[in-house]
Amino acid sequence: MAKEESALKVIIVLVLIAFFSAFLLAYVNKVTSGPIEANKKAETKKAIGIVLGDLKDYTFPENPEETEIDNSPVKYFLAKSSDSSIVGYAIVVKGPNGFSSDFDMMVGLDVNGKIIDTYVLDHKETPGLGDGMKNEGFKKQFRGRTLDNTKWSVKKDGGDIDALTAATITSRAFTHGVYRALLLYKKLKEESNV
Amino acid sequence: MNLIEKFKKTFFIENPVTGLLLGLCPTLAVTSSAENGIGMGLATTFVLVGSNLVVSILKNVIPNRVRIPAFIVVIATFVTIVDMGLQATFFELHKTLGLFIPLIVVNCIILGRAEAFASKNGVWDSFIDGFANGLGFTFALFILGSIREIFGSGAILGFKFWPEEYRTILVFVLAPGAFLTLGFMLVGMNKISKVLQGDK
Repeated sequence: MAKEESALKVIIVLVLIAFFSAFLLAYVNKVTSGPIEANKKAETKKAIGIVLGDLKDYTFPENPEETEIDNSPVKYFLAKSSDSSIVGYAIVVKGPNGFSSDFDMMVGLDVNGKIIDTYVLDHKETPGLGDGMKNEGFKKQFRGRTLDNTKWSVKKDGGDIDALTAATITSRAFTHGVYRALLLYKKLKEESNV
Repeated sequence: MNLIEKFKKTFFIENPVTGLLLGLCPTLAVTSSAENGIGMGLATTFVLVGSNLVVSILKNVIPNRVRIPAFIVVIATFVTIVDMGLQATFFELHKTLGLFIPLIVVNCIILGRAEAFASKNGVWDSFIDGFANGLGFTFALFILGSIREIFGSGAILGFKFWPEEYRTILVFVLAPGAFLTLGFMLVGMNKISKVLQGDK
């Protein structure tokens, strides 16, 4: 081991190791990419099922439409009934400036722009404080609200939303996320009327 | 060295977390519940066993000058396999562990075992060493995660025994709780290893 190896041997060995590991990874990627994709789809489907609540017999496209609200990317699924009229919207928005980072959430609206339910997709909020935004007690106050019948900020800031105890920042982000979804609904409505 | 002796040593006296204080970043960060602790521990065990095996097989081929880059490539390969495998099988767990799976690459337990043990020992010994260290790591993470989950969320492995409306000791789930719990764990483990060493 103490002997100095030739540069050529060093290069060959490293290249061979890298080559084999790339080959192995390509194979693993090929095997796992299908299930991973399926898991992500199942996750989206589950979320849509939750945020659209009692709506039944609707279909939604495989891939969401994308647009921008409030300088933030937004994706949405249009849920349509069998006669292809819109029955609801499942909107994926970013809750901006959460306690740790932005988080992804989904908001379900019915055809009149009333909130059916909300679902947090991916977040890094504090367990026990901020992740209370997933709890029934916090979520239920959003149901049935629309863009116009509510002041969309937490009570501390003069709005109508009860913030979570010790998690005002998360609550603000969540509220703003919901607000963005409602803005998107308004935009879509205006576009379809023109 | 017989197996039982070896496992006893890596579990208590030279446990990677409580004995050698290695790999503390994932230890402190992911152990907010027992389940996360086990998940992280087993993922690390897989990488540790795999990298120890490959390194011990290749130990005579790898030039001494570039052994660290070579080890890291091997380790990174196994970590990526775990990352993709977890996403395909335990999607929810992967979401919680998230960033900390790729970070197994820089977990010094793994490079430490490759450098200190696998590159000097035979295949079978390295396999056992990786397995024992991985389980020791998992064991430490499980205990830490359990304590934090019991006090912080009033649950164990997701099973709640504490009514929802009662408050729990929130600090255990937060970052300071990880440090506090680890501190007390170290006290306990030091005591245990003293007793074990006294036996000899």
